[in-house]
Amino acid sequence: MILQQLINGLALGMVYALIAVGYSLVFGILRLVNFSHGSVYAFGAHIAMVFVGMQFGIIPALILSIIFTGVLGIAIDKIALAPLRAKKSKAIAALITTIGVSYIIQNLLMIVFGSQTKFFPKLFDYGNVHIGGVSISTTQLFIFGVSLALLLLLTFIIRKTKIGLAMRAVEQNPKAANLMGIDVDFVITFTFFLGGASAAIAGTLISGYYQVVYPTMGFLAGLKAFSAAVLGGIGILHGSIVGGLIVGVSESYAAAFLGGGYRDAVAFVILIIVLLVKPTGLFGKKGVVKV
Amino acid sequence: MKKTVALLLVVMLVTSMLAGCQSQASDKIKIAVVGPLTGDFAEYGTGFKNAVELQVEEWNRNGGVLGREIELVVFDDKNNGEEAATIAEKIVADKDIKAVIGHFASGVCMAASPTYQEAGIVNISPSASHPDFTKEGDFVFRNNTVINVEAEFAVDLAVNTLDKKKVGILSVKTDWGTGTAEITKGLVAQAEGMVVDHQEVVDGTIDFGPNITRLNEAGADVIIVVAMYNTLAPFATQYKTVNPDIELVGFSNAYSQQLIELAKENAENIHFPTIFFHGSTDETVASFVSAYESKYGSSPSSLTAQAYDSAGIVLKAIEVAGKADRKVMKEELYKMTYPGVTGETKFDQAGDAVKIFTAVKIENGRFVEVQ
Repeated sequence: MILQQLINGLALGMVYALIAVGYSLVFGILRLVNFSHGSVYAFGAHIAMVFVGMQFGIIPALILSIIFTGVLGIAIDKIALAPLRAKKSKAIAALITTIGVSYIIQNLLMIVFGSQTKFFPKLFDYGNVHIGGVSISTTQLFIFGVSLALLLLLTFIIRKTKIGLAMRAVEQNPKAANLMGIDVDFVITFTFFLGGASAAIAGTLISGYYQVVYPTMGFLAGLKAFSAAVLGGIGILHGSIVGGLIVGVSESYAAAFLGGGYRDAVAFVILIIVLLVKPTGLFGKKGVVKV
Repeated sequence: MKKTVALLLVVMLVTSMLAGCQSQASDKIKIAVVGPLTGDFAEYGTGFKNAVELQVEEWNRNGGVLGREIELVVFDDKNNGEEAATIAEKIVADKDIKAVIGHFASGVCMAASPTYQEAGIVNISPSASHPDFTKEGDFVFRNNTVINVEAEFAVDLAVNTLDKKKVGILSVKTDWGTGTAEITKGLVAQAEGMVVDHQEVVDGTIDFGPNITRLNEAGADVIIVVAMYNTLAPFATQYKTVNPDIELVGFSNAYSQQLIELAKENAENIHFPTIFFHGSTDETVASFVSAYESKYGSSPSSLTAQAYDSAGIVLKAIEVAGKADRKVMKEELYKMTYPGVTGETKFDQAGDAVKIFTAVKIENGRFVEVQ
């Protein structure tokens, strides 16, 4: 029972981790919490659903969804956020803007696809694996594997490639990076594309796991993923994964032993405790005070 | 410049006043329909709107009621109590509106019904099943059964029809869900079954892993799911990967084509009690279903059919009463028996409809009647 709940929690946690990575990416570069990420994730799931429905097959559908959702990420930045940066408006304005964008996307999804819950075909299902009384579904293993691969890929991009170097430079000091000849605007565009792409992957995998898609799917999942990101230290990718797993496992135990009413609260309770004890999150670095 | 703007405003003001006069002078009979047209429960509200629209169209084609045309006024309450209360105020203020069909969830209905009762306008909810709803007063009706009756039928399906004595319950944490789960627990004990575990989930949950593990380890053989299709479908899918032999029993508000579309093969053999069965061979039902399908492209659910009948009942009451008066109509409602697509409807003293249930199950991707 306790072990089985741990497995349930880990699978759920990977789901949050996948979404949390998107928050971390954008925060790492712009120091902006992009609250539209939850809706972008729902958008990615809907796009994948459309292409799966058109008999594209799951892999092409996923790739198309990554492209479309990545472009949506760029569009959000270019239309709503870049003008604010150009005017040097306060950080809070951008934050509120992302919340607004989130509602716009969510309602557009409702208008186009209807608000009902829709079907999504199951991904990669080869039954269950039984290990000592604990049963793990192959879909859970698959999600786990893909999430890890995605994380490694993102880490590789950021640590080992030229664009990754540019991203880290912009993160440290955009002005100095610009003076060194880095195209800051391009780096930001690229980051939003990556954020959108990771949301599309998360949306497709999670919809395939639960087999449902609906416009408001990103709201609560997005908030929990955000707390997972903060928990692990926002801006740090492996922190998001650990944070997601902690949130998922604790939610699973809360649902099983405290009752369904408490499961949604647990993520936020943990978040508050961690912020009180270690405000930068589990893996967070101390912020450099700029003079 | 300023003067032009001022002049324009005056013109607009006067025109709007004139427009107001015009609508007052019309001798149309207005019926209001309210439900969630946007948001999570939009499909139910849209079903209400479509059904009532269809009924009104049929009446208008036959010359309206009392020789007057019927006009439908549609409101969207987003399944939100505050919104519903505001809409109720708006409705009672319009003297041309003779009756209100709607509000979807019991809790929302109960936020609006005091206003209707106070103003003395007939309110029929096609869906509210909370026992306290019609206790508000004599103007408040439901064209649905009180949940106890339906729960008894659902328990009978689980314990006797499916012959499983170890019952698990999954319910949503809403006024309706919690209340129904408590009633169900009592009924299971009476039916000589045993409730092995009861799990509650927040409405909108899609991950049931922890709940399923609990229910499964408690040894449940049948789960009574007190929730709508959007909960039942993923729950069925996830439960059947853990235990393919589990039997499921739902409630009539989960009886929807959407359930089959979402759960596919995992929906097989889910049993429900329902008042309305859209595959029925009955002539009135068949013609309603085909009219609805050809107009809206989807098949009507149980609640949609109840909304259709609710509109029929209201219009019939006006016709029988001989005048469109809010009070006279109400008296008429208590006296009449209405033959509709959901069987014969008669309201008891409390304003509750007495209905007969049919059992349906899903077989080979279709709803069939349980013999």
